[in-house]
Amino acid sequence: MEQAQKKILIVDDEESIRILYKQELEEEGYAVILAANAYEALEIVDKESLDIMVLDIKMPGMDGIEAMQKIVGKKNNIPIIINSAYPHFKDSFMTWVAEEYVVKSSNLQELKDKIKQLLNKTPE
Amino acid sequence: MAGGRGERLYPLTKENAKPAVTFGGIYKIIDFTLSNCLNSGIRRIYLLTQYSNATLDKHMHLAWNIFNRELDEFIDNIPPQKVNVDWWYRGTADSIYQNINILEHERPQHVLILSGDHIYKMDYRKMLDFHQAKQADLTVACVQINKEKAHQMGVFEVDDAFRIIGFQEKPARPKTVPWDRSKSLVSMGVYVFKTERLVREIIDDAKRESEHDFGRNIIPRMIKKRSVFVYNFKDEKKGGVEYWRDVGSLDSYHEANMELLKENPVFDLYDATWPIRTYQEQAPPAKVVFSGDEEGLSRGVTINSLISNGCLIIGGKINRSILSPFVQIHSHCRIENSILLRGATVGHHARIRKAIIGEGVTIPPHYTIGYNLEEDRKKFTVSESGIVVVPQGFIVD
Repeated sequence: MEQAQKKILIVDDEESIRILYKQELEEEGYAVILAANAYEALEIVDKESLDIMVLDIKMPGMDGIEAMQKIVGKKNNIPIIINSAYPHFKDSFMTWVAEEYVVKSSNLQELKDKIKQLLNKTPE
Repeated sequence: MAGGRGERLYPLTKENAKPAVTFGGIYKIIDFTLSNCLNSGIRRIYLLTQYSNATLDKHMHLAWNIFNRELDEFIDNIPPQKVNVDWWYRGTADSIYQNINILEHERPQHVLILSGDHIYKMDYRKMLDFHQAKQADLTVACVQINKEKAHQMGVFEVDDAFRIIGFQEKPARPKTVPWDRSKSLVSMGVYVFKTERLVREIIDDAKRESEHDFGRNIIPRMIKKRSVFVYNFKDEKKGGVEYWRDVGSLDSYHEANMELLKENPVFDLYDATWPIRTYQEQAPPAKVVFSGDEEGLSRGVTINSLISNGCLIIGGKINRSILSPFVQIHSHCRIENSILLRGATVGHHARIRKAIIGEGVTIPPHYTIGYNLEEDRKKFTVSESGIVVVPQGFIVD
């Protein structure tokens, strides 16, 4: 039987990034949903059944760290990858709530690898 | 940790958070843990509170407003804020998970986690030294008890180097310690964590189906894959005798209070080298009057008892009892094995034994409590071992 298509939510305030990620990840065979800010992301988390989420930190209004804590409060079983241009948030305890932390790069290979790893990870 | 509901202490916790329940006449339960902190030089404290917080908050302001923020000393009260989640604290681990931002802000190397509802004297610095010497991820303070008594508790199995290798919850056959086959180790609810390990564990726990409890969830999981040690508690003052009491039930609360009344109590309130701090309001000295006739009860007599300031004993005999401030006992009363909380009044010729009389309660003249438990049960809470509790605000008629 064909495996169900995995659903990824991309949360990023930059439109060009959203377009790029959608294109690249759809080519990998994923269903991609986009949110332009944390508020949209929280609404999508309520409505959709997601397999994984890629989350920017610096966004206007609510940032990714605050959003992530609210998301875990709603649904604690969606793996989260933080995808920020800034590496220094990695030291903050608040970002440890995410399963992975990938610094933004023009090459999406690391992000794709982490997505694949987390989706294949069997729960303990 | 001062956020327990205190259900087993009900009705004493009807109007008070458990840590704010009076103990030993003038103290609140939390004073013992906080005095340990003060005597151990720990002066950066977050108090995680939840239920019936108002009386605890008031006590904290009155008794513990002594730390100097300018010297980076503080006790901050942190109730659930519901900023990122829709619930109160769901367990001990969740209460810290919900405040990760505080740990991020403070960035300590180690975190000492304490329960605010136990009676004991402990120098936490010694535990911290042990934790650092062992380079432990987690150190759990334990007290040794006779193995026959351990079946109701969480028991740790340790090797010769104090490393925890197993955990049993309420075991039929409790494991004993390698150095004494008659003793088992039970947790005191006192933990030291490496901060980074603590953060990883509480996040991992928040993402699981869990009761979010250190004792039941976090520690059993950590034993399997982390470096977890037992710190074998030694009472600061008593050498080989370890005094540690969980006063979470009416019976254990009453018993621990009564233990203070022994001629040489193991837990000594009068030890000037380990002072227990509290707040005491302005009150005149206790007064005992009426010489009366030697045989009769019109003579005011107190034996083996703690009588707080402001008490007025106008005749009557008081034996093995604890009177909080402003209690009044009128003539020909007989009070035995009882705890009378602030402002309780006992009318003449009343008889009370094995009872806890709540704050401000008035017992009418000629009334008896504790002599006929069947009758008492119709009106009051009676504990398993037969302690009668008349709660604060109850009109006795």
